[in-house]
Amino acid sequence: MTLTDVILQQVINGLSLGAMYALLALGFTLVYGILELINFSHFNVFMVGSFIAMYVLQAFGLSGQTTILTGLPLVGVLVAAFAVTMLACGAIGVGIERFLLRPLRAVKGPAAMILTIGVSYVLFNLVILGSGADSKNFPNPLPALQWPIGGAVLRLREVLIWAVSLLLMGGLTYFVGYTKLGKAMRATAQDPEAARMMGVEVDRVIMTAFFLGAALAGAGGLIFGLYYNFTSFIIGFNAGLRAFTAAVLGGIGNVPGAMLGGLMIGLIEAFSGAFIATAWSDVIIFSILVLVLVFRPAGLLGRVAPNKS
Amino acid sequence: MYSAAIDLLGRPFAGMAPARRKALGLIVLAALLLLFPLYHNNDADIDAMANAGAFVTLALGLNIVVGFAGLLDLGYAAFFAIGVYYYGIFTAYQVMPEWHSWWAPFAAVGLVEKINQGGPDLVHFTLSFWIALPTAGLVAAFFGVLFGAPTLRLRGDYLAIVTLGFGEIVPIVFRNVDSVTNGAAGLNGVKPPQLFGFDFGVDATPYYYVCVFLVALLVYVSIQLRDGRVGRAWMAIREDETAASAMGVDLVKYKLLAFAIGAAFAGMTGVFYVAKLQTATPDMFNFNVSAMLLVMVVLGGMGSVWGVVLGAFLLQILQSWLLPELNHVLHGIGNLVGNGFLQQIDLTESIQLIFGLILVFMMLFRRDGLIPAARKTPPLNMTQQTAMVQRGGFVGMEKIGRWEKRAGNALEIKGVTVKFGGLVALNKVDLVVPEGGVVAVIGPNGSGKSTLFNVITGLVPADSGSIRFQGAEILGLAPHKILEKGVARTFQNIRLFPNLTVLENVLIGQHARLKTGAAGAVLQLPSMRAEEKRARQWAVDIAALFGNRLSPRLAQTVFGLSYANRRRVEIARALASRPHILLLDEPTAGMNPNETLELAEQIKSLHELGLTILLIEHKLDVVTRLADNVVVLDHGEKIAEGPADEVRQNEEVLRAYLGRAGRAHAAAVAQAAAVDAGGASNA
Repeated sequence: MTLTDVILQQVINGLSLGAMYALLALGFTLVYGILELINFSHFNVFMVGSFIAMYVLQAFGLSGQTTILTGLPLVGVLVAAFAVTMLACGAIGVGIERFLLRPLRAVKGPAAMILTIGVSYVLFNLVILGSGADSKNFPNPLPALQWPIGGAVLRLREVLIWAVSLLLMGGLTYFVGYTKLGKAMRATAQDPEAARMMGVEVDRVIMTAFFLGAALAGAGGLIFGLYYNFTSFIIGFNAGLRAFTAAVLGGIGNVPGAMLGGLMIGLIEAFSGAFIATAWSDVIIFSILVLVLVFRPAGLLGRVAPNKS
Repeated sequence: MYSAAIDLLGRPFAGMAPARRKALGLIVLAALLLLFPLYHNNDADIDAMANAGAFVTLALGLNIVVGFAGLLDLGYAAFFAIGVYYYGIFTAYQVMPEWHSWWAPFAAVGLVEKINQGGPDLVHFTLSFWIALPTAGLVAAFFGVLFGAPTLRLRGDYLAIVTLGFGEIVPIVFRNVDSVTNGAAGLNGVKPPQLFGFDFGVDATPYYYVCVFLVALLVYVSIQLRDGRVGRAWMAIREDETAASAMGVDLVKYKLLAFAIGAAFAGMTGVFYVAKLQTATPDMFNFNVSAMLLVMVVLGGMGSVWGVVLGAFLLQILQSWLLPELNHVLHGIGNLVGNGFLQQIDLTESIQLIFGLILVFMMLFRRDGLIPAARKTPPLNMTQQTAMVQRGGFVGMEKIGRWEKRAGNALEIKGVTVKFGGLVALNKVDLVVPEGGVVAVIGPNGSGKSTLFNVITGLVPADSGSIRFQGAEILGLAPHKILEKGVARTFQNIRLFPNLTVLENVLIGQHARLKTGAAGAVLQLPSMRAEEKRARQWAVDIAALFGNRLSPRLAQTVFGLSYANRRRVEIARALASRPHILLLDEPTAGMNPNETLELAEQIKSLHELGLTILLIEHKLDVVTRLADNVVVLDHGEKIAEGPADEVRQNEEVLRAYLGRAGRAHAAAVAQAAAVDAGGASNA
């Protein structure tokens, strides 16, 4: 492989990872934009999502990488898996919001954030108790199609990941920008009090944000499984932290920013793994997080908001 | 543990003074802890107690950062790791440079020794545990400042995620630089402590006593810091950063101090922990440790020293003793009834589930923890609650003395412009407050009055212009510096420290006038004790100015005070800083006519003592009564200035307030108000 090929390959890898981080970052950004809350439970909703996806695929009789599907059955299974996973995760997100976070909404200080750390821990340990601490072989029905691009290789799974991510992100952009509920969401993010007085049902808006964020995390969890061919109870922590970094990098609260940030973090991870050392990837990514927060706290696409005091 | 024990033990001693009861309780607790290895001679349990103690000290350190200063640190275990590797690297056989003659002096004082493992002579570091323990505090404090510095400007929730990042980076670095740390395999052969030739070895008892000493020391340090000037500054930052800095607290300094002292606790604990374990791997410091410490602090009560001790101790005992015991019981029952699930169950695996549930339940149902930091105060009786409207100004003013009369102007504002994006909040405003004068700023809502106060007190930067206080430029200074010079303020929407008592709020006002630092508080020097005593007396005297409005409520949190009393506390807090000029932002807002009159006369009595006052006020009768000079702002511009009677006949002013059509009506209203005010002052 020439250097160009290596770079090309890392771009392909980075965009796939980045698409996954972007989906996850959107959940942080949607919730933060409205409640100014870092939702740590999001880390492990993503992880639970990959387990739900695994069980759904297994319910279709798939296991490991032995059963290969093509054509309509493949499309059908994938659509069903995405739909069930996203709905189930969305329901978890809504449940967390409705029963645990809503009672704390009026409480000032770090209480709500500490609670989400607790929820994250509970999800994490329920998965360990329910299915053991070993990592799982994730069912992957995709045929091993691949296309050489120069010396680099583009595989079907990457094309699939890009297609699904583009579809979901396009849908979200449309929703937030052009639907009535989406407009209500943007209004609530600007000023919940004013939005409420203009007749916006703030509770419903917040619930929607949690539903969408958690559903996208579920999609991310499925993509993780398809990409790495395994899942485990520990995947939430690193992916979540990277996705949060992505959201901050793009400008937290900013939907296109989360997508851009996700792609950038994916590319940074791929390139630092290839050119420096995987062992230092985390250090590099967290250093970026710190540098962005210190020198451009509003992120790449965010604006410095006037003080909400 | 402590308060429960005190309750129980204290009952027969109900006649004793509380302070003596507390002292007796502490003595009993200390005796129980010191004698523990004698009456319970079980090495495993002594070991468990020593481990529990290590987590108590870690939780105490985290409590300084999270509980006192309100800085949510999710990567605290990093400082623990730094302490561990500091002592580990300088005693284990990991880093061994080649011997050179310039190592000889170090060898002479016992810091290194020359060894030979075949090949050239090598240097083996032999740092003494007793030197490492305090110096690890310094090393960790250094890293606390290093990691804290970039996070200072961040909002609380961003801080959490950045510290989480640092908490991840530190163990990764220790894993990756394996030539120094032996990587993932970890350090081995860390030297146990020695004392007068006695080697601690692997027996738990000597470690236990070191641990009891460490816990006692850090509890003492925590309490001394909490109850003095430093702790009050931290809690002010926790409650309201903006108000804290406006009341003279240097945010950068005190946040870094909290990071440094919290980190020092962890660094010292690290040395103890690794000396006891004699091995260390990077995995010992992952996020779970930081999270567990947070659970301990949350369980015990954020900011509550004894609560945190209890929380950490309970969770450690739960892990090392209660759950294994329960396992035995359940296995026994399982064997009895032949249930395979019960026979196999291992509750210790669910410890993190329990942690998660504790966080969720505590946040939902008991956010103050097992032993809340805020003390409950008995309700006031009827006499204490009855407050008569007090006429004729403040009472007991002789205690606060007069202000020195100077010539010239106290405050000179020239051409100050403030822009928020496209909005011009203040446009080339000029304003002069003469020494000993009272100037009122009036204007419609949104005319820039509060922005003017914010720019004078340094909370908002100006785009151009100059603000001179007693001849010296103050524009561009940090808010706490401006307060130090003698400019104190109140806020339109009241910014007190809600979970602190009236007394503590007023004491924080004196922050800039006191000197006690962290070291002074810990050492309890006589001069510092005298200073604290004077400060408390001054706060009591200031509160007493308001008659029985505040005095009976000194020990109550301001959270539960009436609106008018909160306004009074805010004025008392500002007065406590011994200001030369007092900026009052709508002091009578929300008060009824009687209370308004009371406060107006009190402000007047301050003026008569020589205090210079700049006042924002909507009630024109108050303005007429107090101000020598009135400045009118509209849309950020000064549209009129002069004595109150002139200003309210001014065409521009009437238009700004009421629009063109309302002018005739306004003139009539102003006329009526003038008659009212005149009548009131004759009364």
